[in-house]
Amino acid sequence: MVTDMSASSNTINPWPFLLPALSLCLLFFLLPTLNMVILSLTTETGFGFDNFKLFFATPHLTQALHRSLILASSATLIASLVAWPLAYFIVFCVHKKWRPLFLLAILAPFWTSFTIRAFSWQLVLSDNGVVTWFIELITGFSVTLGILYTMNASIFGLALFGSMLTTFTLYGALVSIDDKLIEAASTLGAKPFHIFKDIIFPLGLPGWLAGIFLTFIVCVGDYAVPTLLGGGLKPVLAQIMLSILKGTYDLSQAATIAVVLAITVMLCGLPLIIYGLAKRNRTAV
Amino acid sequence: MNNLIVSKFMFSLLSAFFCLALIVIYLPIIVMIVFSFNSGKYQTLPFREPTFEWYVNLIADSSFINSFFTSLMMASLASVFATILGFLAAYAFSKAKIPAHALLFGIVVCPLVIPMILIGIGMRLQIVSVGIQPALWLVLLGQTLYVLPLAVINLKNRIDKIPKSMEEASISLGSSRLKSIVLILAPICAPSLFATLLLTFTFSFDEFVIAYFLTNFEITLPIRIWTSLVTGFEPKINAVGTAVFIFSVTLGLIAQFILLFKQAELNKH
Repeated sequence: MVTDMSASSNTINPWPFLLPALSLCLLFFLLPTLNMVILSLTTETGFGFDNFKLFFATPHLTQALHRSLILASSATLIASLVAWPLAYFIVFCVHKKWRPLFLLAILAPFWTSFTIRAFSWQLVLSDNGVVTWFIELITGFSVTLGILYTMNASIFGLALFGSMLTTFTLYGALVSIDDKLIEAASTLGAKPFHIFKDIIFPLGLPGWLAGIFLTFIVCVGDYAVPTLLGGGLKPVLAQIMLSILKGTYDLSQAATIAVVLAITVMLCGLPLIIYGLAKRNRTAV
Repeated sequence: MNNLIVSKFMFSLLSAFFCLALIVIYLPIIVMIVFSFNSGKYQTLPFREPTFEWYVNLIADSSFINSFFTSLMMASLASVFATILGFLAAYAFSKAKIPAHALLFGIVVCPLVIPMILIGIGMRLQIVSVGIQPALWLVLLGQTLYVLPLAVINLKNRIDKIPKSMEEASISLGSSRLKSIVLILAPICAPSLFATLLLTFTFSFDEFVIAYFLTNFEITLPIRIWTSLVTGFEPKINAVGTAVFIFSVTLGLIAQFILLFKQAELNKH
């Protein structure tokens, strides 16, 4: 009797708590995703991969996919490298008390809209922008920067955003490293480089990879930076999707592009997921 | 500074890099703020006379003001919905035994790891195929979905740290489950709930793509700004940008301050 009572009070029926959130996800995420996949497989004659064949036979679209991938991976690569010194500085060079403050200094612009941040870079990079003005002021020559509305400007804009994001996730991993580990290693004679290689890097790795993954996802699906900094002449896939929905309104093509993009993201995320699972199994053993 | 792993030389290198990063991050924003007070239609230096003209223009422009209030309403409602739904879900994920726990948690936080534009397109295609007209209430639900993962993750982190015994005690003393959640758990989580509210508000306020796909005529502020940027430059955009930047960053910073300091405090115990 007593055990019965404690058992009933211990078990919480999760469904009343979960149902609101789950039904929202079902109606606005799972169902639309399913619908999108079905739409991309629907052709005039029935079901089939015709839409995808058409996608890969259209140079305009495959080039856009190619550009999306180049853009996202370059930006992610730069961001992943920049994040280390930044997070390292905040965690190991700043007093414990001030760490959140330094982190927030890097992260503050993160909370304003993507659009506004991209636009503010137009002011700096454009041919009559601040950088040109500054160079002309110093050298006295008139220069044409020619950066705005190129792929490089897009890469720069997205890399900057990714650096903030990856610094944030890497910070989370580095800050929870126990000081005693480092002290112990040092007492036993490890040099700074070895401490980094054998302690800090492996422990920071999950946070770093999470940042890399998230950066890639945001970059591959972004339309704002490629439009405002990269210009419209060489569009990436996200820009094409936007223009289809507001222009030609070819819904099955839009769905096909979306599915291609989703599969790309999944393929790129797969190595990380496998790594995560392997890691979990290892710690379980 | 940790002398064991950072030499003096490394320290100066790292701090120089950090300062450089700060300059790069803040330069465009400072330029935007400066231009928002610069008279003259063209965005070129040197600085002319200071003026409030663009801000006055902005307040007089009803399309900006209306879209601002639309965004304000959407973000307020979406953040409240997401925080409530997120709190309930986080409680279940933290304290209850759930079949297929990992799968369900994955579904709820999945929108976070999918490009926004895919979620937006999916919703648009869905409402077209069901035959619903684009409208603001769809934007509201879509944005609630978009910020829900943030709420669930933040609040689950907090609830995980509260021992189950706290709630068990109140229940064994005769309180109902619901009552103990509202009267015991929620007050303990109050700072986190407040931070989550602010954070989800900020993200929803700045959200563009879902709103762009799910509404036709009643536009939000990010859509109004976007339209202005891609169709032709208006100098008051600098003023809007400055205002939005200060507004969002203030809210975001307060939220993150609460979360980071709370986290540091909890880790100490």
